[in-house]
Amino acid sequence: MDCDAFRDEMMDLLYGEAAPATARRLEEHQAACRECRDELDSFRRLRRELAAWHAPADLVGASRWRPSARPYLAVAAALVLLIGGGFALRGSELRYEQGRFAFRLGRAPEPAAFAAALAAQDERHRREMDALRVTVAQAARSDQDTLRKVQQMIADSEARQASLVTTGLTRLEERTEARRQYDLAQVGAGLSYLDGKAGLQAARTTELMGHLLQASQKK
Amino acid sequence: MAPSDEELVERFQNGEASAFDVLVGRWERKVQGAIYRLVGPGEDVRDLSQETLLKAYRGLRTFKKEARFSSWLYQIALNVCRDRMRRGRGRSYVSFDELAETGETGGESGPSALDLIEARDLSRQVAAAVAALPEEQREVVVLKEYQGLTFLEIAEALDVPLSTVKTRLYRGLGQLRQQLVRQGIRGGAPVPAPTS
Repeated sequence: MDCDAFRDEMMDLLYGEAAPATARRLEEHQAACRECRDELDSFRRLRRELAAWHAPADLVGASRWRPSARPYLAVAAALVLLIGGGFALRGSELRYEQGRFAFRLGRAPEPAAFAAALAAQDERHRREMDALRVTVAQAARSDQDTLRKVQQMIADSEARQASLVTTGLTRLEERTEARRQYDLAQVGAGLSYLDGKAGLQAARTTELMGHLLQASQKK
Repeated sequence: MAPSDEELVERFQNGEASAFDVLVGRWERKVQGAIYRLVGPGEDVRDLSQETLLKAYRGLRTFKKEARFSSWLYQIALNVCRDRMRRGRGRSYVSFDELAETGETGGESGPSALDLIEARDLSRQVAAAVAALPEEQREVVVLKEYQGLTFLEIAEALDVPLSTVKTRLYRGLGQLRQQLVRQGIRGGAPVPAPTS
């Protein structure tokens, strides 16, 4: 047996399904061929790893399969037919409308009763519409009052803002004038100082000139 | 002595409805186990199992006994699972979170906390590796490794030659080995030949 043949039959040996003669030839080959022996061993180790995956113990609960329940199903079907027939005879009705089941027990209303029911419904709708109109009118009046209040608040706010601006301007004007007066006073004081220094210098110059004149006359 | 599957099928076909109850009791858990491993955990497992049994119930009267009942039942289960997979294509049908919720453990008595964690971790990794296999290989691996069917039964269930079953299994196991080695599980890794 060569390696290709061994690989072809290896699964039989791995899972114990090889016929005795085949198993003997496979064993002989793997005893002589290290590569094939290693591969078979690796698959055996792999199978031990695969055994680690356990299905949960509670996978199978109470079986929902009830093949023998057919007699009960027949009884249930008969009951449904009986009840359905009873409803049909009594004029009952089961409807599926707009995602809901609607069930009516008994016959449909007679035409006169139906007209009376319609009239009552019209009257109820009329009352509801009137009530709605009153509510809308009240809401409109309420809206006008609110609008007036808001306008008044806006006016008050504008007046407050104007007053604040005026007051601010006045204060700014006062501060500017005070600053101007202060600056003028500073300039005046500076000029006086300069005047004083210039006068003193002139007096000294005059005195010096006097000394020079006297000295020249003495010579 | 318990009646064989074939005897029960014959009794059912002769009008003994309760014979199917016995077959269900005998095979339901195994079918659920196969479905669980093929489509992953979740509520679908029971629904698919019910669907399988219902189809078997409807088809059993015309079952011709050319194959084993077990192979025929697994064939129905495989088709139900394939339909479900096609309808939910793109869904990762084995998620670690779901596996964690199933509370799977090694099942041994008195393991330490570390043993439990390692066993659960390995269980998840194996589940993910099997789930990653191509459908044809996964089916063969599940039927052989976890359901214990013979090669002949698998060939009947899949309606393919015996050699095809073995080839798919060989390739599937090879891929699983690679996948688990990539995940750091070296138990199945080939032992390198000595250099000297």
